[in-house]
Amino acid sequence: MIYYLLLPVLLLLLVIVQITILELFSLGLIGMELSLIVVIYAGFHLDALRGGILSLLLGFFMDCLTSGIFGLYMFLYVLIFCISMIVEGKVYARKLVLIASFTGFCMLLEGLLIVLLYRFVFGANILYAMLKIFIPQAVVLGILSPLIFGLLQRFEVFLHAENRRPAQRI
Amino acid sequence: MLVPRKYHSLIVAAVLLILSLAILSYSASRLSETWFLRKTVLEAAAPAEDAINISLKGLHDAWKRYFFLVGLEDENRRLRKQNASLSDQLNLYREGHIEGMRLRKLLNLTEGLPNRTVAARVVDRSRTSLFKMILINKGSADGLRVGLPVLSEQGVVGRIIETSWHASQVLLLIDENSNIDALIQGSRAQGILQGAGAAGCSLKYISRVEEVQAGDVVLSSGLAGVFPKGLLLGVVTNASRSGEGLFQKIDVAPAVDFGKLEEVIALILNVETGK
Repeated sequence: MIYYLLLPVLLLLLVIVQITILELFSLGLIGMELSLIVVIYAGFHLDALRGGILSLLLGFFMDCLTSGIFGLYMFLYVLIFCISMIVEGKVYARKLVLIASFTGFCMLLEGLLIVLLYRFVFGANILYAMLKIFIPQAVVLGILSPLIFGLLQRFEVFLHAENRRPAQRI
Repeated sequence: MLVPRKYHSLIVAAVLLILSLAILSYSASRLSETWFLRKTVLEAAAPAEDAINISLKGLHDAWKRYFFLVGLEDENRRLRKQNASLSDQLNLYREGHIEGMRLRKLLNLTEGLPNRTVAARVVDRSRTSLFKMILINKGSADGLRVGLPVLSEQGVVGRIIETSWHASQVLLLIDENSNIDALIQGSRAQGILQGAGAAGCSLKYISRVEEVQAGDVVLSSGLAGVFPKGLLLGVVTNASRSGEGLFQKIDVAPAVDFGKLEEVIALILNVETGK
């Protein structure tokens, strides 16, 4: 229960930090979409219900605070969560190289879907964004992902430790 | 249980995917008022974003102004401190003077407009995001709603796409998702001004027979009803007839310098009639 109560607050904080502090530290050059790494982590480590709700909520907050098209990130994050779940079932998803390359791949997939959406729904050609925004983002997120995975694992262990009931004294 | 356990994950994933796709296709196809939940999120996030930005600016300023003084001799320190204090004071007055001038320009613009206006401060802007948006500190409690045009003293800034009670998101006219009915002041040729991201804007659907050249002023045509007629959008930087098709390729530089926006005004008008 504590998971579902804490989740919205923590995810909203993550998105706010992502669009303020992290954007400032990246000097306005590259967007640090750490939320995507969190979604991939959820796909690798959480069950469908917990991870699915996490992805949907994270997408919702991203849509509210950063996206011009409501529902875009909700769809993208749920899709990436599903793909991560499938990948986790097929391969050993603990290798750092796999985590890094899969994160990069997901960032590129997200970029490609946004470009296609703009092309076919809004009639705008933003192919330049693949080169200027999404490929650098994919590289940076790929490099950062093993570190963030490690932090998230520690956080998960901490949460479980909090939930664990102490042994009763006889 | 009716459904075998091994299919639970599949069903949850399918339900979430369909739900998110339905929300996306609904919101992509129409301009709707901001939902209550979104309003709440925006309302909660806006002050936090504002506070973080102000704190970061304060830290940055403190770092720049004081930390490099450490290690200098006393006299030097005292003089520098005095200098910094005087500079601060001067900066304060200068900022006040510049702000006063900006507000006077806004006030002049406000007096020239027939509609009620609401002045707002820019509290955050997307720096690296694909979406070109700003966050302002006024919302539905001040009469703002989705679709209203937002201006600065330089020209059109964009339109409101989300409002909470005390904050609103403004989609800038350089966003690829922004389309504004426009006309060229000299020739009166009408087209659609579409955002082109960092490249500015492009004016579409202007026939090849129209005479368009760099320096022509682009104004809102008032046709779609969102922006009143005659608001300054930008200036043509390049017009080309090369390539196939019926229309020219026209690049437009927006009139507003979005990187330096600090205050804006929103026009309160009827979105359906544009008045």
